[in-house]
Amino acid sequence: MKTTSSIVSILNDPIIIRRRHWRMLKDKLAKHAMTIGGISIIFCILLIFFYLLYVVWPLLLPAQMQVLHTLKVPAPTAGETVFLATEEQGEIGVRFTSKGHAVFFSLKNGAIISDNALAPAEATVTSFAAADPAGSVVAFGLNDGRMIVVKRVFDVSYPKNVRVIAPRLEYPLGKDPLRVDDHGKALTRLGVQVGEETHTVAAVTEDNRLVVTQLKKESSFLEESETLQRSSGELSLQQSQITHLRLEKEQRRLYMADQEGYIWQVSLQESTAPQIVHQVRVVGPQDQITSLEFLTEDISLLVGDSQGHITQWFLKRDANNNQILTKVREFDGQKAAITAIAPEERRKSFAAADKTGQVGIYHTTANRTVLITSASDSAIPQMVFAPRGNLLLVEDDAGNVLTWKVRNDHPEVSWSGLWQKVWYENYENPEYIWQSSASTNDFEPKFSLMPLAFGTLKAAFYAMLIAVPIAVLGAIYTAYFMAPRMRKIVKPTIEIMAALPTVVLGFLAGLWLAPAMEDYLVGMFTLLIGLPIGVLCFAVMWHYLPKGIRYHIPGGWEAALLIPVILFISWLSITLSHPLEVWLFGGNIRHWITTELGMRFDQRNALVVGIAMGMAVIPNIFSISEDAVFSVPKHLTVGSLALGATPWQTMTRVVILTASPGIFSAVMIGMGRAVGETMIVLMATGNTPVMEWNVFEGLRTLAANIAVEMPEAEVNSTHFRILFLSGLVLFIFTFFFNTLAEVVRQRLRRKYSSL
Amino acid sequence: MNNSTLTHGIDIAQLGRGEATLCLDDEHLCIVVKNLNLYYGDKQALKDVNMGIPSRRVTAYIGPSGCGKSTLLRCFNRMNDLTDDVHIDGEILLDGNDIHRPSVNVADLRRRVGMVFQKPNPFPKSVYENVAYGLRLQGINSRRVLDEVVEKSLKGAALWDEVKDRLYDNALGLSGGQQQRLVIARAIAIEPEVLLLDEPASALDPISTLKIEELINELKTEYTIVIVTHNMQQAARVSDYTAFMYLGELIEFGDTSSLFTNPAKKQTEDYITGRYG
Repeated sequence: MKTTSSIVSILNDPIIIRRRHWRMLKDKLAKHAMTIGGISIIFCILLIFFYLLYVVWPLLLPAQMQVLHTLKVPAPTAGETVFLATEEQGEIGVRFTSKGHAVFFSLKNGAIISDNALAPAEATVTSFAAADPAGSVVAFGLNDGRMIVVKRVFDVSYPKNVRVIAPRLEYPLGKDPLRVDDHGKALTRLGVQVGEETHTVAAVTEDNRLVVTQLKKESSFLEESETLQRSSGELSLQQSQITHLRLEKEQRRLYMADQEGYIWQVSLQESTAPQIVHQVRVVGPQDQITSLEFLTEDISLLVGDSQGHITQWFLKRDANNNQILTKVREFDGQKAAITAIAPEERRKSFAAADKTGQVGIYHTTANRTVLITSASDSAIPQMVFAPRGNLLLVEDDAGNVLTWKVRNDHPEVSWSGLWQKVWYENYENPEYIWQSSASTNDFEPKFSLMPLAFGTLKAAFYAMLIAVPIAVLGAIYTAYFMAPRMRKIVKPTIEIMAALPTVVLGFLAGLWLAPAMEDYLVGMFTLLIGLPIGVLCFAVMWHYLPKGIRYHIPGGWEAALLIPVILFISWLSITLSHPLEVWLFGGNIRHWITTELGMRFDQRNALVVGIAMGMAVIPNIFSISEDAVFSVPKHLTVGSLALGATPWQTMTRVVILTASPGIFSAVMIGMGRAVGETMIVLMATGNTPVMEWNVFEGLRTLAANIAVEMPEAEVNSTHFRILFLSGLVLFIFTFFFNTLAEVVRQRLRRKYSSL
Repeated sequence: MNNSTLTHGIDIAQLGRGEATLCLDDEHLCIVVKNLNLYYGDKQALKDVNMGIPSRRVTAYIGPSGCGKSTLLRCFNRMNDLTDDVHIDGEILLDGNDIHRPSVNVADLRRRVGMVFQKPNPFPKSVYENVAYGLRLQGINSRRVLDEVVEKSLKGAALWDEVKDRLYDNALGLSGGQQQRLVIARAIAIEPEVLLLDEPASALDPISTLKIEELINELKTEYTIVIVTHNMQQAARVSDYTAFMYLGELIEFGDTSSLFTNPAKKQTEDYITGRYG
């Protein structure tokens, strides 16, 4: 047999060398794989962050405006422009003039398409009114107390696959002028709304009367024809000089502005007797109202004054339950008298032009000045948005018609709109509200993230309230007092609970726990109170039991004895629930909570979520804090015991202290999970975005909100991007919590670690 | 000298220690061990140990690893209770009372019998709080008392000068030797009757070891000290009495100088001359 000469010679054997190389290679490979893994995790997180930011970014961009076309006012002989309009595509414009013409022209080159004289030869035009922009109806008031109502129509056809837009005029109330004032006086101010069944005309006459005429359609079965039923009323305005008159599209109210800076609020509840409800001064003592328009949907009034202030007003109930015009917000972006206000048709945005040719774009809900730019060198008396809000048609005093392209995708978003109280239309006070869509198309979207952030924290708070005591105390007991063999069963059992899909927990919570808890609410509370008391009582009883019985239970197994105790207390609570409810709460605790405590009660409430989500986070918190307690070095506990400490003293003074970094990070990880948890809150909360700490009310979290609304949000719309923003907020939330947790943990560890 | 023997037929009279002879008969015995057997499960770790620990003396246990000397030491403050599957029979009397009687409060016993471990184990608290820990356990929270005791104990453990400016710093910032003296200070703060030292210097450098040994010398005027050590020179240097254990049995026990210079048993001689261990 050959004996091995020496280790050194074996080391030089080629096979051994190859093995050693292989060993080094493995080492390097492992090192690089770990580096790549770590970096790619950081990269992925950054990628998610930047993707969210990329989608959110357009929300932060300012609006842009650029001139597309500049034209000379077409057909200047037809009179001064009193109203400009355009159609969806922004190809054809129309100019209604002071001489009663409607001039259609191309916005590209100014070519006149048609020039229609609308006023009858025997009368002259004295006033003009534009109805709700969606109806495209305008009216001219005449000097003989009559008026003409026309509707602009743009027919779109595609001969040879080319879009052709043909403008024409319709007469929705007939081609003949309609009588408004029975006395035949000239109409100096006019307001008109044409509805499905009812049409209303309001006019101020030259002898200073307010005349209101209502036309109701009456159809008769026999003749298959419709007749218009006319009723009218009037009101003397004495010496007041009315400058503006606006009739809301619901035809129940009208507003007039006078020379003195007052707005008159007139009720048309009875068309035959218009009634002045209220007068309010809306501008400063030296100022005048220079412009008055409705914001889209005719709920808010926008008032422009001679100082360049624009204020928003709407009706609010006062102490006497009267609806009174109230100032809501103010925009101070411009310095010269406001000459024209152009509301957007489909958003709560508007543009305002002033005497110096400056144009500002604002958004009311967001309380945001989106853009201020100079559109012309002279005053701008006429301005209108295209229906899509992407074009702004401007006519200046120098006789130019300018078409501005407006890029203003997300005016609805501002810091104050997202995070501060906003006074929404039809609300009595500023509030935090999340309501991204509604059954009607033209409502005011409410994008306050506060209720969602609040809901997230509320859900997490109640979940932690239930989970932290159970999990942490359970972990301390398991790690420190429990017999090792029992611990070997208990710990994996609880850890396996973490594998339970949250959707299962969610539907259990939503479909079983929530109704059951509603039924046995009293039982739930007796359980919450009775369980700790019962357990303590049992412990005391145990202490006084004869030793003969006590020694039958091996040390560390005492916890198992609690199982029957807990089951008994639970059974007792459930059984006593209804009798107690009858005895203490008159048989209906829900009713008692609502009436006696004045709290709302929802079946799916924060308590259900607290319990269900608590169950979901208990395994995480338990597992990590158990490890932390268990890994407290033995020499510390032994050292403490050797100094005469009882096990309890050792636990409270040394073990928990040393394990505190671990317990803290367990709680923070649980918190992070509770904040980001989606399925349970989605199914068990009712998803009502309210801001109440009340444990019996529902909530909506950021995560659940994304899950609920993302499928129905239009891609790249403001709503879509705000959902991404809420995702970003959630991301920052968890990032913040985790970073804070890590910093605190490191500090605690430096202080209390003994390793 | 009397011709009495104590245990295992060791003739104390013949184990004279030079001119300053020590005789167990003259000593007051603080701890008396009678027929002590200890089992880890089925394995017997201590076999019929009988001996006495004299008050205000240093008694050292020597012997090879696994001979049961630490186990015996841990019997004196019932630290073995913390280990599973330990079964003890026999008696250990502390000042004449059996420490295994049901009426004995273990925490109280451990206050009276302090212990210092091989590895320094200060708590992750300040130096001050470490020393005050045992007092706070007893419910002493008066700042004045604590200040006084902390200073006294730290001085007693020869640590005061080194830490008096950093009493409120974390104890884990001290060096190993300082930590061990801190642990001793912590132990003597509650004024135990007996101080058990389980290889207190084996994790320390020679200078720290020297300081600990000096400290033991000073402490023995007030405390009964029992020390377990691997280091025979250390036993010889610091102890008044030495017990040699082997395989769970107490082989020989007597005053230190005679045990080292003139062992009565062959096994003792083999061990101290380095034939095994």
